[in-house]
Amino acid sequence: MNNDARPTDDAARTPDLRMLSAFVDDELSERDSAVVREHLEHDEAAAAQVAAWRAQRAALRALCGATTRDDTQFVVLRPQVPWWRRTALAACWLLAGAGLVVCIEQFVLPNLSGGETMSFARRADVAYAVYTPEKRHPVEVAAAEEEHLISWLSKRLNRQLSVPSLQEYGYTLVGGRLLPGEAGPAAQFMYENQNGARLTLYVAGIPKDETAFRLFRDGNRRTFYWVSDGMGYALSGPIAEGKLRSIAVEVCSALGGRPEAWQ
Amino acid sequence: MRRHVGQRRRKQRRLEQQLRRILSRARRHAYFSDFRVSFEADVVSWLPQLRRYARALTGDHAWADDLVQDTAERALARWKAFRPNSNLRAWLLTILRHLYIDQLRVRREIAVDEENAPWRNLEAPRGEVDGLVLRDVQRALYCLPLEQREVVLLVCVEELSYQEASIALGVPVGTIMSRLSRAREQMRVLLTEGPIHKSVSLKVVRNSS
Repeated sequence: MNNDARPTDDAARTPDLRMLSAFVDDELSERDSAVVREHLEHDEAAAAQVAAWRAQRAALRALCGATTRDDTQFVVLRPQVPWWRRTALAACWLLAGAGLVVCIEQFVLPNLSGGETMSFARRADVAYAVYTPEKRHPVEVAAAEEEHLISWLSKRLNRQLSVPSLQEYGYTLVGGRLLPGEAGPAAQFMYENQNGARLTLYVAGIPKDETAFRLFRDGNRRTFYWVSDGMGYALSGPIAEGKLRSIAVEVCSALGGRPEAWQ
Repeated sequence: MRRHVGQRRRKQRRLEQQLRRILSRARRHAYFSDFRVSFEADVVSWLPQLRRYARALTGDHAWADDLVQDTAERALARWKAFRPNSNLRAWLLTILRHLYIDQLRVRREIAVDEENAPWRNLEAPRGEVDGLVLRDVQRALYCLPLEQREVVLLVCVEELSYQEASIALGVPVGTIMSRLSRAREQMRVLLTEGPIHKSVSLKVVRNSS
């Protein structure tokens, strides 16, 4: 190859390895070949080198120059799936996966945990835990102003509320307060017996109508909760489940629910 | 009446245009399928040479056969990427080289000096060429780094011109020249004064096939 920017007019120059190698392969221009041939005549070492390389080439051809014609000549072609079909398939799987996730979130998880009403019970439980230890301000409006309390909370919850009496269980009304609920205002009524033990009734609007009567436990606190006629009720207190349950049944029926359905 | 004639003429013209479009599409299709058929035949005709080269390069017949199969498959699948009137053989060799390097990476290049290097399983060549024992040549060949071995094989055995080798390997002609001269010199040194003759533990497993 003479396109390698190799100065060829310098005849006195001794050819380097690259040139000798190209000479062996007949890749030099005629002029360069002549220069190399002339050089080889009086440089024995270079001549020996070239001879060795020629022998090497012959040996390599003898070594690996044979093609095996008897080989069965066939090529296995795997069917080519066009890229758009592969992409479409991947997209389909992705969509199916996303659909599955949505399905699980929409239908399976709420059924497992009780969903909305569960978080409703949790709120009631937290409200209980926050306000019952209060000594001086357990309620916003005390039981002394019961009428005002009921009309105020009824107005805020946009619903006629009534406060069931728990006298027969030894609990008297302390008062009530307004709280933020899941999707609007919620009301909490607090009761207390003569030992100072407190119960709360938490009331909030719940769009979903569900008659189930459930129990939520957190530590030693129990919360029975139910939904009746678009309102959610939760009765919380640190007392035995059986007793709390019978109070809850009482409250439910006092508020116009149908506790018979739970038994 | 006149309007009728005009409509008919327009309709006719539209039909002619459609027909012409269909014909040109068919012609183009025919051209491509013709090209594809001859391309496939050309690829298949180079397979023996590819196999010979792959065997020499890898020193492993099974590997070489896989390599040739993969090369042919990839070439046929990407026939659209081949520019007509360019060097098909160099193109195929380039594909083969890329595949080989990929597979080498996977197999973690087996050192040539290792006891179980694949070339040791090759049939031990017998015979002498101008004073060189083929077995020693073989050993020297697999002592070369891959870069040098492929140039030596392409130029000396496959008889590619420097130009073709430079296309196949994707390097300038000057690089081909230097690699080749270095490879030759190293082989010569290995064959004349190298440790080959001293190493008695040369183990050649003869293949009975």
